[in-house]
Amino acid sequence: MLVKNKNWKWIIIFMLPLAAMYITFFIYPFGFVFVSSLMKWNGISPMEFIGFQNYAKLFRATTLQISVRNNVIWALSLGFLQIGLATIIAFILARRPRFWKSLRTVYFIPKVISGVAIAMLWKAVYNAEYGALNAVLSLITGQEWSHNWLGEFATALPAIIAQEVMYIGYFMIIILAGVMSIPTSYYEAAEIDGASVWQQETLITLPVVWGIIVTAMTLAMAYGLRHFEATFLMTGGGPGHSTSTLALMMYDKIGARKLGQASTIGTILVIVGFIVIVTLNQTLGRKSLTGEDQ
Amino acid sequence: MKKFTVFSIVLIVLFAVLAMPVVAGGQQESEKKEVVLNWPCIWVGEDAKADAVADIVAEFNEKHAGEIKVEIEEMPSYDIYDKKILAQISGGQVPDIFTLKWNPDTKDFYSGDILVDFSDDLAGGWGNRFDSSIVNEVTIDGQTKVVPYEMAITPIWYNAELFAEAGFDGFPETYDEFWDACEALKANDVTPTSQMTGGANAWTSMLWYSHIMASVGGPDIWDKPLSDPAYVEGAEILKRLYSNGNTTKDAIGGGPAIPSGHYLAERTAVFCNGPWFIGNIRDNAPEVYESTELTSAPAAAGGDEDAQVGFIQTVLASGATDDPAKREAAVTFLQYMSEPENVKRISMDSGALMVPKFSFSASDEVDPLQKKFVEAQENASFVVSHMAGKFPASVVQEFGAALDQMALGKASPEEFVQMLEAANE
Repeated sequence: MLVKNKNWKWIIIFMLPLAAMYITFFIYPFGFVFVSSLMKWNGISPMEFIGFQNYAKLFRATTLQISVRNNVIWALSLGFLQIGLATIIAFILARRPRFWKSLRTVYFIPKVISGVAIAMLWKAVYNAEYGALNAVLSLITGQEWSHNWLGEFATALPAIIAQEVMYIGYFMIIILAGVMSIPTSYYEAAEIDGASVWQQETLITLPVVWGIIVTAMTLAMAYGLRHFEATFLMTGGGPGHSTSTLALMMYDKIGARKLGQASTIGTILVIVGFIVIVTLNQTLGRKSLTGEDQ
Repeated sequence: MKKFTVFSIVLIVLFAVLAMPVVAGGQQESEKKEVVLNWPCIWVGEDAKADAVADIVAEFNEKHAGEIKVEIEEMPSYDIYDKKILAQISGGQVPDIFTLKWNPDTKDFYSGDILVDFSDDLAGGWGNRFDSSIVNEVTIDGQTKVVPYEMAITPIWYNAELFAEAGFDGFPETYDEFWDACEALKANDVTPTSQMTGGANAWTSMLWYSHIMASVGGPDIWDKPLSDPAYVEGAEILKRLYSNGNTTKDAIGGGPAIPSGHYLAERTAVFCNGPWFIGNIRDNAPEVYESTELTSAPAAAGGDEDAQVGFIQTVLASGATDDPAKREAAVTFLQYMSEPENVKRISMDSGALMVPKFSFSASDEVDPLQKKFVEAQENASFVVSHMAGKFPASVVQEFGAALDQMALGKASPEEFVQMLEAANE
């Protein structure tokens, strides 16, 4: 139902700049991407309309299936593993153990380091010939390890995801801020009632910060869906496209001067992202753990 | 009415008075206006040509102070450079000066009015600085829209000392001998070859495959379609280079630093690259530099011998403009860049082989390894382009991924070639 508001003119005036920016920087570019996805275009010659041929061609390619699958794995890994870890650490730090402030800083530091530097560091760690991981495993097991973590089908994707998942600092800080804003009186009352720490966390903390956690999951999954940087730097999508993502595939298509196909992938990326995020919000975001509508 | 007329006259006079200095200043400014040429440049940072190019640009700017100024925009990554240039061009912003790799896709840039056509300028004497056959190669439908600048010969590099320690006086001439040498090297704890499947085009292995194909398929190999059995025969040899410890484990997925790093550290005995790498090896691994010899790849069974891989590596181009002064400035700069003395400086500094003609004097201290490149080219029975120079980028991109699968045993040589064929559709 539309609510009548005597200030509607002012509301429109104040919303106009944002609406103009949204149209300029999202609606128009997305419209352009969609239109160019229907074209044969090398970025140099004029566009040529070819209908949905780009879509048909890409849907036949196994690389697209692999990339969509990998993007979903990325989104789920970041959404559930990374946020799960961030939540656990935030809950622990909120109990103010010794050195909790130092630990909070330590967890957050990687967030201020360039993603490129971190990816290159991990690439060296995973190297088959001189990597630290093989050296440590050799030391522990007493056997010679020379596994090519980024060059084997079975380990390449988990290796990249693992190094990304463990950087929880950003989301941990957000969740921690939420947890620490909960009045201590809740916990004092719970303790008087004989609630254990586990019960306090699951029945007080988790429901109160659930909205924050779902927001963090949405952000993490959105990042997973558009993931590019670490994969590009560490494997370039290999071995044999096994770690490819939609963004990387789009980048490769641009390199091959198939800009129409690159736009097709861009359109698919937006659609997949929309489906995943809406599904997340429908399943986790609508109800709080206390059963109240959000 | 009278009031309105007076008001109008006052307004016009006021406007004229206010506009006068602006117009006059604008005229003065246009007379003195310095033409600024933007050059997104890959020859920066650690690149072997960086110092010489920076000096030449600085000297040009000094010589043309107040008239022309070339501003270098540093772009140290070759892979990203190509995409940046394409993104700029597709957005209608063609750089004033830029470089391109010469391959089948480069010819797309000839369509439309994107680039300056240098054909008239080259006909006016400038063209004498180039080998006419090379100018003809970059001339399409009578238009020469690029200036051929850097050429390459990419022979097989081998560490003669490591081979001698393994009991080989020279480089094997056939693959049967080569596999024997590989076993001997491995017995000495040396990995035989440097390879890579990563990067934009799996550069080192793509060059190896080009060498193999030259021997298997002869001088006209790239005229044959990918359905030709020669490609599978070549793939079988390439697969063996990745088998039995003939290359390092990190070759799969490895970028350009992997093969070069292993060769410089004497962990591998055989490498493949162009002359631009001379500066790097000379500065970073002097002992390896001293031990390095250049040769052709072994001959495949029943195949051609002493073939080499060579190609036009880089061309210079300039974005088309309606401004005659800017066009003239761009041509002036490119002519300066191709002056024999400047080309010689870049070549001597970096070891690169250049297209514009120049000659060394008796007093010039030409790098010994650079001389070996020239000899390798002269001794070749024939020279073919590398694969990336003859196939579209989509095939070249797929090469690394297909090689990953073949090297890891997920694809046979036949399937490897089928993947390339699929990418070529």
